[in-house]
Amino acid sequence: MGADPVAAVTGDRPVGVAIVDDHPVVVEGVRAWLATEPRLTVLATGDDPDAVLRAAPDADVVLLDLRLHGRMALDKLAELSAAGRRVVVYSEHTDPQTMLAALDAGAVAFLAKHEGREHCVETVLAAASDRPYVPPALAGAMVGDPRPDRPMLSDKEREALLLWFQSMSKASVARRMQISEHTVKQYVDRARIKYTRAGRPAATKAALLARAIEDGLVRPEEIGIYRSQATHDRPTP
Amino acid sequence: MSADLNAPAHPTDAPEAPNRTSVPNPREPDSPAALAAPAAVAHASDRGARIAAVAIALAWHVAIALPAVLSARAEFAAPAVVLGAWILVAVTGAVAGVRLLQGSPLPPWPLAGLLLVVDAAVFAAAGERQLFTAANWVWGTLGWFFVLAVWGRRVVGLIALLGTHALIALVAVLGHGPDPADVARYVMYVYGTFSLPVAVFVGSTVIVGLARERAGVSAAGHAMAAERDAAERGLRERRDRLALVSSAAGRVLGDLAAGQADPDDPEVQRRCMLAAARLRRLIAESDDVPDPLLHELRAAADLAERNGLPIDLVTIGTPPPLPVEVRRRLADPLTGTLADARGWARLTVVSGADEVVVSLVTPDREGPESTGPPPGEHDDGLVQYLYERDGNIRWAQTRWRR
Repeated sequence: MGADPVAAVTGDRPVGVAIVDDHPVVVEGVRAWLATEPRLTVLATGDDPDAVLRAAPDADVVLLDLRLHGRMALDKLAELSAAGRRVVVYSEHTDPQTMLAALDAGAVAFLAKHEGREHCVETVLAAASDRPYVPPALAGAMVGDPRPDRPMLSDKEREALLLWFQSMSKASVARRMQISEHTVKQYVDRARIKYTRAGRPAATKAALLARAIEDGLVRPEEIGIYRSQATHDRPTP
Repeated sequence: MSADLNAPAHPTDAPEAPNRTSVPNPREPDSPAALAAPAAVAHASDRGARIAAVAIALAWHVAIALPAVLSARAEFAAPAVVLGAWILVAVTGAVAGVRLLQGSPLPPWPLAGLLLVVDAAVFAAAGERQLFTAANWVWGTLGWFFVLAVWGRRVVGLIALLGTHALIALVAVLGHGPDPADVARYVMYVYGTFSLPVAVFVGSTVIVGLARERAGVSAAGHAMAAERDAAERGLRERRDRLALVSSAAGRVLGDLAAGQADPDDPEVQRRCMLAAARLRRLIAESDDVPDPLLHELRAAADLAERNGLPIDLVTIGTPPPLPVEVRRRLADPLTGTLADARGWARLTVVSGADEVVVSLVTPDREGPESTGPPPGEHDDGLVQYLYERDGNIRWAQTRWRR
């Protein structure tokens, strides 16, 4: 990889996005969504992840349709994530198992295709700065995670995820929980950060965790023992 | 224009409506009747065998033993004892038979003891000349009353009783002087008294067991067939709906492509929203045999959708088996609120082993409260209910915790 993919995106240049999807109409739709946001620029599109990344080696974020040519591209996702590519998976397959499997494989975020422009832009921007963004569908998958080795969430984190999934409005969740919107977002993001421990380690997970610690979102001891690669992967700014 | 999506008037909707009500709730807890079926079959089969055994015992006692006793009564050593014993066994046997048929048999071992005492008394009272005649009625009859006494128990009990009977007879035979011809006759009689009652006893036990097993297998088969049936109906229904959705979505897309529909037209946008919501819901349905709670909610969502409301139904996890009452309290308040919803609706179900949370969110609007329960939080001990409106959304939630 020519780029240092996990390097933090600076504020000066727009975030470079690569779109991988095998439906041209979807590519065009997503491109139109992202075009409304000046901080984003689409560098390359196509239906083959390798070809797209050859065309745009400096892409900060890869938007990957999980189902390419009839096959689930989970292996490709894991490979890209291990190499430090920030992959935002977007798919019409929103069953919780698929979403959690994508997180395990190292996806920075999972976006349901129907979740729309706003969530798409938010997710890509957050991903570029190694910050979590949890769209409602993903919140539902996390709160209903039945796996015995799932991360331990606090009651508040669970409740915030559940209400966010139900209402899709952080303002309404805040009113319901009688806390600020900012705190709602913190609960949701903390839950997401705890998921960086699930599945095998990946550079992207380490980057998310490192940024969360840096932002004061979590303390290292809250996450438990984690073989942090962050210190090796990214020098402190 | 939107009549194709406002379904009731549209012909393609016609096959859907009857299906909706006919899809059974397949995961209802097994009814006691269904569980009892094999036992009922076994019971019926056993009852037949009991009637046969009682009939054989009483018929033998009355039709064969009684005439022989009466005709030979002068030749017994103690006629009164033989006759009295016959009457005692007739009465006791009749009572035991009736009680057995009623399903409340007399206590087996006291009854068996009484029969053995009668056995010994009759052998002693019959006298040497009547020892091997039909007038010594205990040979032929008593074995059948043993069968009645220990009915439904293990066969060793019956064999022990018949063995004791054979011993008593042996003592009587030898007591009259060991004659080789008598011993040969004795062996023949013992064989005769053993074989038939034991055969009937064992035969009936085996038949009852087989009937129970076969009924069990058949009940399991029926349950499986019912489940398959429900799954097939679910699949058929989904196919019907896919056809309906495809044609509706295809029509909108066709209109858009042909330039007959304007993407800026709110009506066209609404048609697109409806078609997309329906497609999403179809894609999200991954269960082969729908859970009863999800089934109810889906039916409510379909109804709202037919009235033109774009609705998302998102389910996470599968609800554990819930009592009907809990299910009703989880679903009913929300389906009531759903009936008043305008604009769009989002219905979600999150299920774990110990918790099920159902939520309905619709845009808030001016006007009175919906027909659901009043705002605020209520807890009836089974299900917690919460309803609020904040100017932005109306939010109803029901929650069950184990």
